[in-house]
Amino acid sequence: MLKLFLWLRYLGKRRVVLLSIAAVALSCALLIVVASIFNGFINAFEQAAVDSIGDVVIAPPMKFPDYQELTDQIEKISVVEAAAPTLMSQGLLHLGRGKVRAVEVWGIDIQKQGKVTAFEKSLLKGEKTQDARPQTQDHPIESYVGIGVLEEPNDKTDEYDFESAKASIGQELVLTTGSIVEGKDSERQFKRQTIRLVISDVSFTGVYYLDKQVVYLPIERLREAVYPDSKQPMAGQIHIKLRKGADEEATMVQIVRAWKKFASEKLGWSDFQINQTRIETARQMQARYVAEFNKQKWILLLIFGVVSLSAVLLVFCIFYMIVETKRRDIAILKSCGSGGGAIATIFVGFGGCVGLTGAAIGTLLGCYITKNINLVEELIRVIFGLKLWKASVYMFSRIPNEVAWGWVLIFVLLSVIAASLGALLPAIFAATTKPVNILRYE
Amino acid sequence: MYKLILAFRYLYKRRASYFAAAAVALCVFIVVVVMTVMTGLVGEFKKKNYNFTGDCVVGTESLVGFPYYEDFEKILRGVDFVEAVSPVINSYAFVSAGDSQQGVGLEIIGIDPNLHGRATGFGEMIYYHQNDTSHVFEPAGDKNLPGCVVAIDLWAQRDSQGEYFYDPTPEATPISITCFPLTARGALAKAGTGLVNTKTFYFSDSFQSGLARVDGSVVFLPFDEAQLLCGMKEPISRVSRLHIKFKPGINLEDGCLKVGKLWEQFSDKNQGKPDGILLADVKVQSWKQNRREFIAAMEKEQVMLTAMFVLVGLTTVFIIFVVFYMIVSHKTKDIGILKSVGASGVDVVTLFLGFSAMLGVAGSAVGVAAGLLFLRNINTIEKLLFEKFGFQLWDRTLYAIGDIPSRLDLTMVAIVVCCAVLACLAGAILPSVRAAGERPVETLQVSQL
Repeated sequence: MLKLFLWLRYLGKRRVVLLSIAAVALSCALLIVVASIFNGFINAFEQAAVDSIGDVVIAPPMKFPDYQELTDQIEKISVVEAAAPTLMSQGLLHLGRGKVRAVEVWGIDIQKQGKVTAFEKSLLKGEKTQDARPQTQDHPIESYVGIGVLEEPNDKTDEYDFESAKASIGQELVLTTGSIVEGKDSERQFKRQTIRLVISDVSFTGVYYLDKQVVYLPIERLREAVYPDSKQPMAGQIHIKLRKGADEEATMVQIVRAWKKFASEKLGWSDFQINQTRIETARQMQARYVAEFNKQKWILLLIFGVVSLSAVLLVFCIFYMIVETKRRDIAILKSCGSGGGAIATIFVGFGGCVGLTGAAIGTLLGCYITKNINLVEELIRVIFGLKLWKASVYMFSRIPNEVAWGWVLIFVLLSVIAASLGALLPAIFAATTKPVNILRYE
Repeated sequence: MYKLILAFRYLYKRRASYFAAAAVALCVFIVVVVMTVMTGLVGEFKKKNYNFTGDCVVGTESLVGFPYYEDFEKILRGVDFVEAVSPVINSYAFVSAGDSQQGVGLEIIGIDPNLHGRATGFGEMIYYHQNDTSHVFEPAGDKNLPGCVVAIDLWAQRDSQGEYFYDPTPEATPISITCFPLTARGALAKAGTGLVNTKTFYFSDSFQSGLARVDGSVVFLPFDEAQLLCGMKEPISRVSRLHIKFKPGINLEDGCLKVGKLWEQFSDKNQGKPDGILLADVKVQSWKQNRREFIAAMEKEQVMLTAMFVLVGLTTVFIIFVVFYMIVSHKTKDIGILKSVGASGVDVVTLFLGFSAMLGVAGSAVGVAAGLLFLRNINTIEKLLFEKFGFQLWDRTLYAIGDIPSRLDLTMVAIVVCCAVLACLAGAILPSVRAAGERPVETLQVSQL
């Protein structure tokens, strides 16, 4: 009780203590913001992969026919929610006079893609139709175009004009794509195909690469255009969505088994060809990059952590000063029977309180800044004209603003420990104070 | 003189000042190390961009390009501030190498290697024909085959140290390049025929700019071939850009301004000609403006990091404040004596501010020395960490970064030291004013002694 009384008294009377609280709060807030943004970025990076290609991807070394049988087999696995075929190609998109873009063309099964990825959610109008009509002069192929393909984001705000993008729905485009085919005398040659498209909807995923580069077409229409000689359905990859809580490792074993069976029995592929197939989870595909981002996060936290050590020095200096000025109080306490340990506990405990208070303020501040980081960034842009976050550089349109609570807990604990450590030496100094020396009349 | 003596005395005698100096040293050390690495990275990145671009670019982002470039080239060659001009074709193509079953969409750049080598750092970026640009499109084995230069990340693997494996005897691998020719109106030149402009080139050299986006997506072709493939040869020849190098001593902004004026006149004169409307989309940019999108990102990161250090550096100001507050509290009698023998309040403030400046200089000196020592050995330390623990600051197989930059930028160091001293002065100002306000009659009372 006495300790608590003294802590509160020192906190109220010694205003210099507020400085150490401010320093701890500042360091804590900064570390929370840095860790949260990095964590948010890494999570968004992993989630973006899952949203665009599903949980698991089967990527064989070459395109293959009759994918329907494979997707049916995979969908029989209890934890698989859906499997969707994808055919990828590249092309040049003619958007109008002099406007030409190099794009990636994804042939997708519009219905199934919605179950496997977040494709449906990304559509501005939100209506999807499975275009089953053959391409004719009167019926251009319905397509879904990334918003960045149609227009550049505003240079200052980095935001797209959604209304203008929506206005382009219904506009006709010309896509030139093609594939390498066997020509006369078995000579390989590139065969160009020109396809007329009409924009059915505009896709905005918030992931720069997808918005800027990708045009989605119905898979069969793309197959007809790119491989006109092939009469069978054809896919380049299979994207798979797992049910929530699915055991990824166990499911992967089942998927690999299904693929091997399909490739050997249906496609008649050799073991070499089958083994060249990459079957990975979306997270595994990103693992190298995620490891690198994590490393950068640790390095930045280490740098700020070392700089934040000066807060320990500050606590030390302040407590040293308090002990110096409170030697008479200490001597009186000791002369009343308090032991050295009890005296030390007062100061170490007070240090802990300073750390806890600073960490609490820092946590509030850090969480507030993290949650409103996009607003802060916008304010910086408006006031200083400095656009810090651009999707073209950092992949995403918005700064991830999820608080990393695990890190918050770690920083709070470290703040309390650091402040207590800073108070330890002055506390020992106080504990060794001899009342007889302090309370002498002269 | 007494101020100096007292300041030195406080610095040596008051142990609390050691902590303040330690805090300053710690901050200076971290800031010097991080900013040196960051400044080095930004500087290197800018240099690579400059080497890739040259001084000035006259061009359009449209793949259609612009006409009458030869006339403007002649004008530029006639002025005294331009050293070299290189016309460039820029487009996209499907590229398929060797026995690959699939094409990949890449950027193609058509150049005259000699002109481009003079206008940019192209000659230093090629491997097999380094600084011998005239033979860069001659494949090994048969020099009569049409050659192409492939960006390094498309051709070779990097090891853990960021070094590429170069084949000492490169094969003239066939590379099929397929382009979509566009008319001056941006339409497909051969729409309806089902055929594209395709030509097989042979690997003749690799190109390493050190810029990740370039090194992973570019193929250089001979200018005439690229112009034909992209449909920019006829009826009126077009190019995408003109890269310009200024003569030594020409200021970048002045040079670009002059080129801009020349272009304005040229564009006004020619816009009425066939396809002349394309000239309206052409921009004249310095290399910094041309590569702004990429450079700005790194510069902003540097600004953000600096802002964060300023925030954390506030703690150092607090420490100085507390230490000085403590010293002033202990030295009230000294202050009383000083004032009683005639020292003014300003003298007392000067004494403590001088002391704080000394503390800042001492702390900064230690911080800079430690930073210098660390930076000198930073690459050795990283190498050691990689050998023992597999730790690298950057995964060299992912990032186009070589050694960690460690060259100390003296201007940056001077700024950091000045900021540290200013932080010390800011922290000491309140306690100094308080000291100046001490009245000798109160501090020297017998009861106070």
